[in-house]
Amino acid sequence: MSLTETEAGSVVRPAERRRGRNRPATRSRLARRRRRAGVLLSLPALALVVGLIGVPVGQAVYYSMTQWNGLTTTWIGPSTYTALVKDPVFWRVVENNALLLLAVPVAIGIPLVIAALLNEHVLGWRFFRSVYFMPTAISWVVIGMFALQFFSATGVLNGLLAHLGFGSSATDMLAGEHSALAALAITFIWSMVGTNTIIFLTGMATLDPTLVEAARVDGLSRIKIFFRVTLPLLTRFIQFSFVITVISAFSALFSLIFVMTSGGPGYGTTTLEFFIYQSGFQQVQLGTAALYGVVLFVIMAIAGLVQLRLIKPDDGGGW
Amino acid sequence: MAPIQLRRKSTKWGLLPIMAIVAVVMLYPFWYIVDNAFRSQGQFDRQAGHSLSGWRQLFASLPVGGQLLNSTVVCVAAIAIILIVSTTAGFAFAKLRYRGSGMIFLLVVSALMVPLQSILFPEFVNLANVHLTSSYAGAVLVYAALGTPFATFLMATYYRGISDELIEAAVMDGLGYERTFLQIAIPLSLPAIATITVLQFIQIWDDLLVGLFFLPTSQRTITAGLATLSTGRTTSVPALMAGSLISAIPAIVVYLIFQRHLVKGLTLGMGK
Repeated sequence: MSLTETEAGSVVRPAERRRGRNRPATRSRLARRRRRAGVLLSLPALALVVGLIGVPVGQAVYYSMTQWNGLTTTWIGPSTYTALVKDPVFWRVVENNALLLLAVPVAIGIPLVIAALLNEHVLGWRFFRSVYFMPTAISWVVIGMFALQFFSATGVLNGLLAHLGFGSSATDMLAGEHSALAALAITFIWSMVGTNTIIFLTGMATLDPTLVEAARVDGLSRIKIFFRVTLPLLTRFIQFSFVITVISAFSALFSLIFVMTSGGPGYGTTTLEFFIYQSGFQQVQLGTAALYGVVLFVIMAIAGLVQLRLIKPDDGGGW
Repeated sequence: MAPIQLRRKSTKWGLLPIMAIVAVVMLYPFWYIVDNAFRSQGQFDRQAGHSLSGWRQLFASLPVGGQLLNSTVVCVAAIAIILIVSTTAGFAFAKLRYRGSGMIFLLVVSALMVPLQSILFPEFVNLANVHLTSSYAGAVLVYAALGTPFATFLMATYYRGISDELIEAAVMDGLGYERTFLQIAIPLSLPAIATITVLQFIQIWDDLLVGLFFLPTSQRTITAGLATLSTGRTTSVPALMAGSLISAIPAIVVYLIFQRHLVKGLTLGMGK
């Protein structure tokens, strides 16, 4: 049905078109209608984004310089930012974000190896690809539910350690500040495997196979080919996955923290995004929440600008 | 040549165990959840025996059916809005460019960088002030706004791949811009529309933050319901596993059927 319509529409009638083009009145009328249609069609998206994202960003910047409890607002001024920099809690929270960055190379390195293995196209590689990518479909809440059981004192991890003869090293990882953050980071790494593997597989599919072939003829080993040929050619894809991973680490872990640790113990797993929730929702200091929100936004904007440079908006050939 | 071929074959078989181990690591949580959903707390502690006790407790402490319905309603409504505004805007930005349309396109797409956490409370207060947080409406609008930047980027990219000639010819044939969009551009962009639908379905279905903040308790989504159940800490582990299972199934089914579209959306713009 739709196909025949498409074909009908694509039938070019040169005579008519030329006549239309040559008549200036028709052309300017068409141009006007075209412009009006363009404005009209782009308006809903613009309104939605400006109203529900743009305006609140402006408000967040304003409220970040106030004391705000949702009802009354007291103006303080830009000094909130200088006070923030002197606040040890802020640096404790930023430290958690910085420590989470340590997980990023692992969250990229493991998928890189997995993608290289899949790219060998061994028996059943399509099946394995589906399996590796599957966690991408489930929510952080469900992942957190499992992780909670996995890392608990009587959980899977300690059971496994005891089974392997390391029973004495049994720990409740979620009870210590740094070990809880480590548990969070491990869960995060596991969750990123699917996404990053797919990005690297896509990248490897674009590589020129003759380059690898030439390297093989030159007698380079598999490992050397990977490091000297494949990896350098994947730079853009690695950068892309780096940005995605950082963005996820800083702005997608709310649900995981909510389910696994609620930010604790102490400030152990309170990242910027979770502190926004805590200061706003639990302490009703919405000004502070907005302040942290602006800090997070600035970090994300920098990451986002890098990302926009990496994807090519003019590329319709990906389909 | 022959010996090289032989060597390659053997190393490939050697990779199989490694891939199987990785598969176990990736699949184990799913198995764990399924296995322990069908136990009582006692059976869970002993790790022996199965029963439906966890499910009974889940249904007693969580309105599962209602929350699944809430998730569905919110997903369908938000995706409908996203599709309408992103196809129209994508078409305009790609094919009906006007003075300043490039800037507006950048403005819409750059909203991608704003994490909801950053604007959480201003957003909430705004929507509460116009009484949109007491129904589905507030959450639907927030999801729609969050999904629109990427969807618009995707549609604009897709429409750029369609030749200008085709669109112009249709307009010249008297279809007008509106009908050219509806009868030619939309049917041609069904693959991109499918990608957006699948991507957004999984994103919205799996989301906690919006569901937790912008919906009244009675209209919570299943993901938000499950998360609040866990913070109660009074619920048995099998009940939580049962809840995890039932909330994950729709997203997994969609993933298994439409995997290809999901991959496409994730890696768009990354191709050669």
